[in-house]
Amino acid sequence: MKALAATPFFAVFRTEVLLNAKRVTPYAMLALFSGNALLWWGWGPAGGHGWATNSDFFVARSLAGFSFMTLPFFTAVIMGDPVARDFRAGVAPLILSKPLGHGAYLAGKFFGNFFVLVCCQAAFPATFALLQMFRRPGMLTQPARLLPYAEHFLAVVVVTHLVLAAFYFAVGTLTRNAKIVYALAASFYPLYLAYQTVVLRGLPTRWRVALDPLLMNWADVPAKSPGGGWLDAGTINRLAYSYDADVLANRALMLLSAAALLALVRRRFSTDERAERRAADKGPTAIGLGAGDETLFRGETSPGVAPSVPARGVGASSAPAAVALPEVRTLAGGARAGLRQLCAAAGVELRLLFAERSLLVLLPLSTLASVAGLVYFEAAPEPSYSASYAARTADSFVLFMAAISLFYTGESMHRDRELRIEPVLWSTPAPNFALLVSKFVTTFVLTAAAAVLVAMTAAALQLYKGHAPFEPLAYLKTYSVILMPGAAFMIAAALLFNVVLRDKYLAYAVCLATGGGLFYLYNLGLNHPLYNPLLYSLWTPADLDAAAGRLPQLLTHRLYCLALAALCLSLAHLLFARAPGRAPRAGAYLRGRGWALMLTALSATAAIITGLLLGAAR
Amino acid sequence: MLTIRGLEKTYPGGVRALKGVSLDVPAGMFGLLGPNGAGKTTLMKIAATLLEPDAGTIEAGGVDIVSDKAAARRLLGYLPQEFGLYPTLTAAQTLDYFARLKGVADRRERAALVGALLERVNLSAEAGRRVGGFSGGMRQRLGIAQALVGRPTLVIVDEPTAGLDPEERARFHNLLAEVADAETTVLLSTHIVSDVSNLCARMAIIRRGEIIAACTPREALAEIDGAVWEAAVERERAAELRSRLRVISSQVFEGRARLRVYSKGARPGEEFTPAPPTLEDFYFSRAAAGGGAS
Repeated sequence: MKALAATPFFAVFRTEVLLNAKRVTPYAMLALFSGNALLWWGWGPAGGHGWATNSDFFVARSLAGFSFMTLPFFTAVIMGDPVARDFRAGVAPLILSKPLGHGAYLAGKFFGNFFVLVCCQAAFPATFALLQMFRRPGMLTQPARLLPYAEHFLAVVVVTHLVLAAFYFAVGTLTRNAKIVYALAASFYPLYLAYQTVVLRGLPTRWRVALDPLLMNWADVPAKSPGGGWLDAGTINRLAYSYDADVLANRALMLLSAAALLALVRRRFSTDERAERRAADKGPTAIGLGAGDETLFRGETSPGVAPSVPARGVGASSAPAAVALPEVRTLAGGARAGLRQLCAAAGVELRLLFAERSLLVLLPLSTLASVAGLVYFEAAPEPSYSASYAARTADSFVLFMAAISLFYTGESMHRDRELRIEPVLWSTPAPNFALLVSKFVTTFVLTAAAAVLVAMTAAALQLYKGHAPFEPLAYLKTYSVILMPGAAFMIAAALLFNVVLRDKYLAYAVCLATGGGLFYLYNLGLNHPLYNPLLYSLWTPADLDAAAGRLPQLLTHRLYCLALAALCLSLAHLLFARAPGRAPRAGAYLRGRGWALMLTALSATAAIITGLLLGAAR
Repeated sequence: MLTIRGLEKTYPGGVRALKGVSLDVPAGMFGLLGPNGAGKTTLMKIAATLLEPDAGTIEAGGVDIVSDKAAARRLLGYLPQEFGLYPTLTAAQTLDYFARLKGVADRRERAALVGALLERVNLSAEAGRRVGGFSGGMRQRLGIAQALVGRPTLVIVDEPTAGLDPEERARFHNLLAEVADAETTVLLSTHIVSDVSNLCARMAIIRRGEIIAACTPREALAEIDGAVWEAAVERERAAELRSRLRVISSQVFEGRARLRVYSKGARPGEEFTPAPPTLEDFYFSRAAAGGGAS
């Protein structure tokens, strides 16, 4: 043990644990997983079905559900970035120039972070096991024990996530791009659900267990009758789970996959910097020659007396001859200049946005996931096939639309700071609205482009399935009335959050928490149109038909949604400050913000009026 | 002409970066010299409209930079100490973008301006190349090119040559010298003494948020002429001398300590010989005296 502690591997391992101990994420995960265990113990399905909360079945099933529901994302958060972080922070050359093999470095990184991940995950079974000591009214329990928690946690959660961790670690290490890892984490659910639906559903039970990487089907198999219903609670509570050959083969395959992925990382890992990244990271003054605090540098020429114009002999061979700059006319402020500057900024933002590699994953993924449901979709001919297809895909696309709005708004809002171009941009006379609205416009264009892709694919499927007549207007109405105002609102709200909070990840967390909380409320039935700007579950294709009579109310709601979007945008403009510090004098603050104040007042009034109309109609 | 009066800035952590800075910066090249952490960048950021001062005024060409930022930005060109560029844009696209942000609306004029700027900074051959692949020197030259878009009358350049190799530095000095003229003020912040001595007609020294000297380099050197002495001594002797003399700098060379000492009037010791003064000596003499502006 002493020998292990003295190895470079252990030094890296220990430092990774230490670094994670200073991050907020692991503690948030611990709290979240413990809270999750508490919820499932007290308010989960056990009470309704008469299952004992510490029965072998319920423990195994809960752990499989836990493994599926939240963990892929958290695994990506912990495992995707450790090596890339070292390169980003510039500490990698310092570490890798020490007598430390790449294998030891990578193993230390991987196992250090995986250890932290497993510790966080263990909060779920630990809390679950601890709760055996307590009982709610009507809750069934069996004699307390610990072994099922430990063994099912190891077999169902740890082994599964070892593979996921190795995969995310491999991608993050070899690409050194956390965004790709997060995009893959986001695509986990659609891919896994598609795998379950398309590949596993038709297979015999044995194979469904053996080929399921998350063992989601394993716990349910002995507890269900051949017809698919649950056995009686008494039988289920007496079930004892052991690992048969199929499960063991499955787990062995997972371990082998993890080993193969780690071997691949070891083989392909390189300390070379990608040319583009190197150039981007190496800021022009990144190699500071500055030494300590109170030192001055004597340049190599270090003359005593300064000529006011440099000697042309110094570097004269490479010095270009002075080139006269042509006279140009510049617009001195005003609406026309502002609009031109907005167009310029939007053009560059679009160019940068479409250079994002993540779009190569996200656009096909969002299209595929949004239209996947159409494969087995029994489209209703009323009001029309096209309206049914459009409505179905619009419903599926909402989640991706939210993700695109949130993620790309955050990225574009913080890109300038991350690229360190912000001070240069902010010292130009471009007005604030040009810098802000350009980001809104580009993200909106991207969302609209994604929606068009989904609509075109849905239309192609409709035609393929022979559901005539094809009515483009139905798609146009659904997407423009239902989806696009919602997109405008979400982008504007994300923009506002990013302006106010200034921190990208904090803005992501707040947006996700707000969105998640609202969707939770909607699903509980608390679904008033006033706090449902996306109209989630509040419309049917028939509502878009003028003859149905609900169209005016629907349009009022969309106006309400657009008014909220305008309010968020104008508030973002009012709160956007290029020069932090003491609050500027009122006169200075209001200069150039008069119209934003007016727009804020107008949009707030519009939101209140449309909101009142909606309330009255309801 | 840039006029700064009573500029104060304290950061939220309690660091007092500027303590009532007052300075007159005439047209031409003006060097602001000071060590790291002296307050140079804070002063530059305020002048570049990117930071609000707690108190004081700063005016350029009759425009109040603190209260009328939009007007100030129209006459401003800024090259920050640390800056980046969009790696996927080409050099020409980058300059075109900044020209549009500066309000150069006419497409032909913009194209001519971008071409001339690229030629001036010797990047014409790289006009169509993505800036992500540029070297540090090339990026710095593109940086100064963007600062020159729209004929600014106030050009603020913060630590521009740190990290550049000698050839790029010389090239950059030439570029800056071409920018400064009777109508344009170039405010150059640096901790590299030779940048100031090579380029600037006037200079100021800032230390711990205060201007401790404002003069021409010639005046600075005249002030300490005959007061700088140099000697190579054993290390033990150097330690003894350090305790009783105002040592400007000490450098170990071939096992012996080479000392530069400030001593007005009297020769500090037998082993010392007079040395030609440098701006660095001037800085240390002022820093040691904690003196006010001349």
